[in-house]
Amino acid sequence: MENDKSKNENPLKVNRRHFFSQLSVGIGSLALGSLLIPDLFKGGTDQLAERPLGLPHFAPKAKRIIYLFQAGAPSQLETFDYKPTLRKRMGEDLPASIRNGQRLTGMTANQDKFPLMPPAVDFRQHGQSGTWISDFFPHIAKIADDITVVRSMHTEAINHDPAITFFQTGSQISGRPSMGSWMSYGLGSENKNLPSFVVLTSRGKGNSQGLYSKLWSSGFLDSKHQGVLLRSGKDPVLYLNDPDGISRSDKRHLLNEVSSLNKLHHVETGDDEIESRIAQYEMAYRMQMSVPDVMDISKEPESIIKLYGEDCQVPGTYAANALQARRLAENGVRFIQLYHQGWDQHGNLPNEMAGQAKDVDQASAALVMDLKQRGMLEDTLVIWGGEFGRGNYCQGKFDPANYGRDHHPRAFSIWMAGGGIKPGLNYGQTDEFGYNVVENPVHINDFHATLMHAMGLDHEQLTYKYQGRRFRLTDVAGNVINDLLA
Amino acid sequence: MTHTSKSLWLDYVILGLSIFLIFCLLFDSYIELPVILAWLGRWHPVVLHFPIVLLLIAVFLGLTGKTVPRVLLLAGVLSALVTAISGFFLGKEALVKGDLLYWHQWLGGGVALLASLWYALYGTRQGQGIYVKGIQVGLLIFIGLTGHYGGMVTHGEDFLALPADRKKNEIPENPNIYEHLVAVILDEHCVSCHNPNKQKGELLMNNYADLIKGGESGKTIVFGAPEKSEMIRRLHLPTEDEEHMPPDGKKPLNENEIKVLERWIALGASDTLRLNHVANTEPLVGLVKEMRAPDPMEKWLDLPQVADSTLKNLSSDYLTIERIAGNSNALSIDMYMPPEYDSSVITNLQRVANNIVELDLSAIPLGDEEMAVIGSFTNLEWLEIDKTPISDKQMENLASLKKLRLLKVFESSITDKSIPVLKNLTSLKNLYIWETGISASTLDELQRQRPGLSIENGFDKDISAFFTAADSIPKKEKE
Repeated sequence: MENDKSKNENPLKVNRRHFFSQLSVGIGSLALGSLLIPDLFKGGTDQLAERPLGLPHFAPKAKRIIYLFQAGAPSQLETFDYKPTLRKRMGEDLPASIRNGQRLTGMTANQDKFPLMPPAVDFRQHGQSGTWISDFFPHIAKIADDITVVRSMHTEAINHDPAITFFQTGSQISGRPSMGSWMSYGLGSENKNLPSFVVLTSRGKGNSQGLYSKLWSSGFLDSKHQGVLLRSGKDPVLYLNDPDGISRSDKRHLLNEVSSLNKLHHVETGDDEIESRIAQYEMAYRMQMSVPDVMDISKEPESIIKLYGEDCQVPGTYAANALQARRLAENGVRFIQLYHQGWDQHGNLPNEMAGQAKDVDQASAALVMDLKQRGMLEDTLVIWGGEFGRGNYCQGKFDPANYGRDHHPRAFSIWMAGGGIKPGLNYGQTDEFGYNVVENPVHINDFHATLMHAMGLDHEQLTYKYQGRRFRLTDVAGNVINDLLA
Repeated sequence: MTHTSKSLWLDYVILGLSIFLIFCLLFDSYIELPVILAWLGRWHPVVLHFPIVLLLIAVFLGLTGKTVPRVLLLAGVLSALVTAISGFFLGKEALVKGDLLYWHQWLGGGVALLASLWYALYGTRQGQGIYVKGIQVGLLIFIGLTGHYGGMVTHGEDFLALPADRKKNEIPENPNIYEHLVAVILDEHCVSCHNPNKQKGELLMNNYADLIKGGESGKTIVFGAPEKSEMIRRLHLPTEDEEHMPPDGKKPLNENEIKVLERWIALGASDTLRLNHVANTEPLVGLVKEMRAPDPMEKWLDLPQVADSTLKNLSSDYLTIERIAGNSNALSIDMYMPPEYDSSVITNLQRVANNIVELDLSAIPLGDEEMAVIGSFTNLEWLEIDKTPISDKQMENLASLKKLRLLKVFESSITDKSIPVLKNLTSLKNLYIWETGISASTLDELQRQRPGLSIENGFDKDISAFFTAADSIPKKEKE
């Protein structure tokens, strides 16, 4: 009957149009349908609740994603996009033919000159794949053959908030559901005792930009798809633990009573959010057991601690979060989003980036190795990258030892590993200035489409009807980049 | 004929059009069309729907003994004549008429003429008799066949074939690049327009000689230079470009298909080239490998049906059962340690034994019963029993898992005694087996016997030494 796989925003509030269309088409086809398929009305609504959308659309390559988001936008020119021309033409003005009218932020738009600035770090080729990686990342260099570097990412946004919102939600304007929420909506939870979308944050010493909870909001999707921020320390989830003096059986009793009241209210109003709320109380009850278990790294062996670096024992560090990410993935969390802040190098780039890289290099590589050893790279997709790239010209005073780079949307690099992505691939190219993509561009919409494809979802089919139109993560664009898929 | 004088002129129109149609059909090859008439031919796909509907209604009424209203028959006949004539004009655009078009044209003409004959008999004494019934049955058959051939002309000959018949031919071991790859791609995307029946752009793509010959725009292919070849240029144009191929509304080629065409042209566009003639580094080798990979869903089509309600009954807060995709009967099961563990949670899965293809029981305290049941999941391809207290004896249950592709048994206490079982898992590709009682030399031996098996036996020593050593980020030397 209901061919429309997306749900209506408010199914019980029948308006005049619904009413008439139900009358004319609905009753007729109901009658016909029940004649043809006698069992049509026997199926319970529970089945629908179990598998609301009949997804994934096709056999997935990846079951979960760990997104190591480098907030603030690390420079591609000091990480993965090696441009010797910048050294040869150091100090020369960025040719107008290359800039080609690109708008700049207010931070450099008024500069008289745009002198080309070479990277303050050496690059080397690593692995069988010969991937160019800067010396800031000696550990990631060791896993060069496990990762695929995409050097041709591009976006439209030139400032952090719209850019990061674009990456998270497929739109520069906030309000849409986050990527993790879409995955949760489409694929449901692998483990009913943990949220399907979890967020962990950490902060480096570099220049930081804000992170807001809107980035992991479920937008117009059911609130159960919202990302859950796990905090470091004693209370990973705020207000999850019972107050002193309340036993687990008291809590059970309380939940039963509250739930029966809520069910009454649901019958009266038909508001789906009430059912969500009941389910969330139940999950929180189970999370009281599962979360401390997942967060407890005391049983991790010495070898693992060494692998991620000693930092991983300090709650709240990137290394600790990376280790946590593996534990969450093992426990069936669909989408694990890490943010590491501090990559916004408008000045003092050589120093700040060295520090930022030290924060994330070892733990990022360790995570990939750890997943690989456990056979989890087979079905877990790891992504490392920021929200845009950085300009190839110097911001501020021209000093190769202490320079800055302004935001740059037209080309930047990310890497991915595992989960149905070809390993050891170098995808896409920029021009010799590292400014424009010249081969195999990957827009954020394409990136989203490709991730969804790896997860077994057709980005054009996974929709949600809201305010009279069907929304997608990729909105009205996006192509799956088949060359990236194994 | 007993008509009122009012409609007499319409009778003359029908007579005139019929004669014109017969003339067209007979003297087909002598006729040159002025441009305006050729343009009228373009209306054929629009008007053709009228006679089909009108005449079918008339035939239906006639055959069921009802009165056929004169105006209905009149409209049917007129529209049939106009359709047949416009179709004839349209057909003139084809250079050579193929079999399909030939039959479509004569059958269509037949429909119009039969309908005219019926109209001529309408209201006469013969008009009630057996002749008219014969005409009506004839019309029914002719309309059906005309539509059928017409459909094949527009949409390609296999348009009406059952989906199963259209299944792509498997690529043989050492394919002929033209015959088994290029021609297959062209057949799927191009030949429905570039065939002897339609000949769009005066180009035929249904055989090698004509493809090389080219069409209206000249050569399609420049040997050895895909970037200069018209065919490739058009494939790469933006979709909104007039010249982009395939045109709007037709299924575009995917990137792999375009690459196959490009590589074939780059290698000289020969019709004798085989895959073993090219170097292993040639991109075609990888492309063929990719195209050969079967749809993973296909191998699960024959699994027994399993109802959603069964899955619901078997699952719990600690046991998640998912279908691999859509409504597939292949199941993926994840289990997490519940507060109170009972082996029945796993032994109950026997009900769907043949449906389970992925099973994650990592860190579950598995015993004899559970392992025996797992041995009966013969379609299992992916099994995680790492961090479990399994014994070598229990491992023997896995011998029956002939489809097992991936096995995780790391952090367990199995020993060398489990090796024979592992060695005989013929489908096994990935084995994760670090921190067990198995000695390194035994694993080396297993690796020698099973070179295709990837054995993960812990971190590479050099790399982990590098990770364990204190971090040192090389500082940039002063220039």
